[in-house]
Amino acid sequence: MTRPYALLRAGFPYLKTVGMRRVVDFPVDVAVTRDMRVFALCRFEGLAGSAKIARVAWEDDANLGDISSTGSGEGQVTWPVQMLLDRGGNLVVSDEALHRITFITTEGEFVGMWGAHGSGDGELDRPSGIAFDADENLYVVDTMNHRVQKLTKDGRFILKWGTFGDGPGQFDMPWGIAVDELGDVYVSDWRNDRVQKFTAEGEFIFELGSSGSGDGQLDRPAGVTVDGDGDIYVADSGNDRVLLFNADGRYVEKFIGDATLSISGRAYMLANAKPLRLRDMADIEPQKRLRSPRSVRVDGEGRMFIPDYGSFRVQVYQKDAVPLSEEEIIAMPRSPTLQVT
Amino acid sequence: MGDRDLALAAHLMRRAGFGASRGELETLAARPYEDVVGDLLRPERFPEVEEDLVDRYYGWDSFHGPPARWIYRMVNTRRPLQEKMSLFWHHVFATAFFKSEHVASLNRQLQMFQRVGMSDMRTILLELSRDPAMIYWLDNNENVSGEPNENYGRELLELFSMGAGNYTEDDVKMAARAFTGWTFAQPIPLYPHGHYDARFEYRPEEHDDSVKTFLGETGRFDGGDIIDIIVRQPATAAFIARHLYNFFVADEPQVPAWPIEPPRDPEAIRILVGAYLDSDGDMRTVLNAMFTSDFFKEAQFRRVKSPAELVTGVLNLVETHRTPEPGIGVYQAAVTAMGQELLNPPTVEGWHTGKEWIDGGALSERVNFAVNEVGDGSKPGIQAIVRRVSESGSELSPEEFMSVCLSLVGPLTVGDETRAALMAYAESQGPLRFHTEADEEASARRIVRMVQLIVSSMEYQFA
Amino acid sequence: MAQNGHNGKDPALVIVQLSGGNDFMNTLIPYTSAVYHDSRPVVGIPADKVLPMDDQLGWHPSAAALKEMFDDGSVAVAQGIGYPNSSRSHFRAMDIWHTCEPVEVGTEGWLGRATREIDPGGENVLTAVNFGRGLPRALAVPGVPVTSVGDLENYGLMTGIGDDDQRREALDVFKQMYAPAVGTGPVMDYLARTGLDVLKGADELKKAPAMYESDVEYGDNAIAQSLRDAARVHLAGLGSRILYTSHGGYDTHANEVPTHPQLLSDLSGAISDFFADLRAHDAADNVVMLVFTEFGRRIKDNASGTDHGTGGGAFIIGDPVRGGLYSEYPSLDPSRWANGEDLEHTIDFRGVYGTLLEQWMGIDPTEIVGGHFEQILPFANGS
Repeated sequence: MTRPYALLRAGFPYLKTVGMRRVVDFPVDVAVTRDMRVFALCRFEGLAGSAKIARVAWEDDANLGDISSTGSGEGQVTWPVQMLLDRGGNLVVSDEALHRITFITTEGEFVGMWGAHGSGDGELDRPSGIAFDADENLYVVDTMNHRVQKLTKDGRFILKWGTFGDGPGQFDMPWGIAVDELGDVYVSDWRNDRVQKFTAEGEFIFELGSSGSGDGQLDRPAGVTVDGDGDIYVADSGNDRVLLFNADGRYVEKFIGDATLSISGRAYMLANAKPLRLRDMADIEPQKRLRSPRSVRVDGEGRMFIPDYGSFRVQVYQKDAVPLSEEEIIAMPRSPTLQVT
Repeated sequence: MGDRDLALAAHLMRRAGFGASRGELETLAARPYEDVVGDLLRPERFPEVEEDLVDRYYGWDSFHGPPARWIYRMVNTRRPLQEKMSLFWHHVFATAFFKSEHVASLNRQLQMFQRVGMSDMRTILLELSRDPAMIYWLDNNENVSGEPNENYGRELLELFSMGAGNYTEDDVKMAARAFTGWTFAQPIPLYPHGHYDARFEYRPEEHDDSVKTFLGETGRFDGGDIIDIIVRQPATAAFIARHLYNFFVADEPQVPAWPIEPPRDPEAIRILVGAYLDSDGDMRTVLNAMFTSDFFKEAQFRRVKSPAELVTGVLNLVETHRTPEPGIGVYQAAVTAMGQELLNPPTVEGWHTGKEWIDGGALSERVNFAVNEVGDGSKPGIQAIVRRVSESGSELSPEEFMSVCLSLVGPLTVGDETRAALMAYAESQGPLRFHTEADEEASARRIVRMVQLIVSSMEYQFA
Repeated sequence: MAQNGHNGKDPALVIVQLSGGNDFMNTLIPYTSAVYHDSRPVVGIPADKVLPMDDQLGWHPSAAALKEMFDDGSVAVAQGIGYPNSSRSHFRAMDIWHTCEPVEVGTEGWLGRATREIDPGGENVLTAVNFGRGLPRALAVPGVPVTSVGDLENYGLMTGIGDDDQRREALDVFKQMYAPAVGTGPVMDYLARTGLDVLKGADELKKAPAMYESDVEYGDNAIAQSLRDAARVHLAGLGSRILYTSHGGYDTHANEVPTHPQLLSDLSGAISDFFADLRAHDAADNVVMLVFTEFGRRIKDNASGTDHGTGGGAFIIGDPVRGGLYSEYPSLDPSRWANGEDLEHTIDFRGVYGTLLEQWMGIDPTEIVGGHFEQILPFANGS
């Protein structure tokens, strides 16, 4: 797979919304299987903890039941942060309370886990972002050690980089991580309001973002992901949006949320006369918007899935871009121009 | 610095805050008392709780989100009096979750208390009257011209400012009419995608703009004018003074008894009323008068701790949860089990305080909670106590052992029975030794047990 | 009055609160009604799965144990229990059930008041016992001592001290610290008395697990364990007259299909085991149980579960009970739905409380429930 030389960005329209309150409660991450089941990693604390993985059918939004539950036993989670599917089709979940990585099947059966609390090589202090490389080694963001570690899939230490600070290659409570198809690594450096790009070995390449709420600026970026075109997506949680940067780190556009009612949400509303009236009386503009998204994921079809943490749902967008060859587009000029012909 | 300075600093921090670690108390006790009070009254000198951290780890907005975050704030704030005043206003303007079940507006009300709780009475009552959670709680959204709903007008006078007996039924009616049209815009309902904030809305077409006579003054009054008149009343000054006294100084009878039973310390109330009237209801002025007064300094252990005070005080003693950790819900559940469900008071009259905090179940919860928390010798605050005891000598007599523990936990003053009981425990295994490693281990266990016994005492139930 | 077949023993009342709003329509199911099936395409129970009672109503298949007790004649169903202008707020609705105050916000619980009637001097701190944490408002009245037991095996003070001898030593110190002292004032006196009351209650309660032996094996779930605790306390003969516990999780907005059957199965099994246990100890003749919930659920489902509604049902269970259906099942005729979407209540819950207080406990209910309400006659030698 090679990257297109350039893109004609035709659009990135909103596609649909999945899930509702009581089904997808405070989703922090999302994974979608090939058979189009949407797994939402849910995390909040009631009087007891309330972490779980909700399962919803992509097609009709049917509730397929929860797997995992709150706790520290096998297959349970306490403070889950991110979730991946591995090549075997199992779910991989990071847990920053238990300082471990847990593997379970999509039916919730326990497969394995590893992780020890500490700051030594291979030890973890609040692991958050996780991402596989092409060999299924796992990069883990080791938040409170302010570093990234690369480990084998069964948890053996390979390498690490990063110290506390705000210089290149330094971190302040980093959160999300992504690996592109070339093996480069992107880390959202949460408290430094930036995303840093590294080689597979942790050599600094560039950074994007600065503190603020303007275009291309970030307020506590959480999850980050990269698609096959090299586009970089950042869950800009503090600004309630997702930002898109191109492969060079140039800001392209933002997604602030365009939700419509999910199928389950619609069925709920139609069965409830009072909320129907109240919704009818309300200004519903805010309900479209994202609230504190903590992750963003893309699939091979160009779909972008945003777990909408504060709104009990997943918003989905569809990328529409035409790949361009070098012959179809002029070379990058030195400076912008006003003249078209 | 003597134990007296420490005791006074500890007293101030229990009342104007949520307790403090021993290290913090020593720093505070070394400074002039008035400076410490001055800092408490100027929260803007200190940074806010790190909201990004709170949001990252405790960001959920289910019903349990805001109270859990609040407990974290109480323990970690560097602006303790700002947080304590929020609890005070929550107590006086008691608004409960159970009626609306609307988390977003209750959260907004709490943030309003945090923002204006130390300003002046006019600002506070105006914000309160525009607060959607309050408007719904007392039905002011139903209060429209021609069909007034008197609930808010009545409670504003009776429970939030002047107290029963200082106004007439006509005044209630006029106040209610002045607040007609003060409502909120319909927020998007909870299902299917969560709560949305409610926003204050003034509807001129629902407002009764006629001439009204209220407390002897006549005009085309609206709600703001009514508040202007209310905050000038000596009755308001006296009512708020008594609330402050009950919350910060010493237990008073329950509010409904106030029209009949005089204050336990009329001179103290007179001083607070004077400060209120001289400053046009400026809370910092009144609080300053209170905290620097002799009646305050002399009131150590004269109030039963509220559940929130007990739990946060213990957390400050054991020094955990200095950064977000899992399980904050345990502390919220503990406060609830002791009889004070935050953001869900039983009625508009708030919680009954003083000895009414205590019944058999509540006392069991209080004692068991504190005993369990301090029983974990790995907690930083308990390790610090063990270290400090060991640093006070290589061998301590039972009397010294008990006294130093009482000092480190409070300093706590105890009665004869408690002292005798603790002494009997201290004597049961002879002097406390730190000569060998085995000594140290055994002594650490005895210190932890002594601390457990101290926090289970009657005296520890008092602030 | 009050002699309804409890063989001269003091009558005891066990309350089981189903928290969250039990779906009564899916507990006792109008399985032959087209309206029922049309309204509930997702959560409706197919007619052939229902355990029929008659040609209109049938039990949920997971409530088989309850059905068996009903067939034995020891379950009275108060159909359509509720009150006017039913609140859909869990908290408010539960408060109303606890305080009998549907208009004002009440603070005194009906069972707290009943406890005061039974034991005006507060002599026995175990007259009313709650199994669970904190005190339900139903039991709360200032000055009325009520004991709340989170864990019967480990009840009391200083429970965090694992070693028995050390805990005893700590409790001795506690007892000395809370010894009545002269001249320390009324608040200290009160605290001391409360502290010693808790110790006394704990000492008494300790006897219950020690004395208990049974062949009945309760299920491994919360309500079964709570009712086992209640059985142990009742069997210990500590003078407990009101035993209270809660079973949570009934707020089935979503996932009702897997959730509700499990709840019903746990609940019916626990109740059945509880009475089997009492019978095995010849101690069932003075025990009646009330099972209630704060509201029923909406007639129509929402494609995953059901939302807060009205018109619930309560069960009165026990050997002295004359089983059967009482009051009326709410009408399913859409023209008679409350609010256009709810079951209309057919009997006021305060009448059912009155029934239990007056006909079973021998207590005048007027003050306790705040007036006179129509009662039912669910006791064998009904008055």
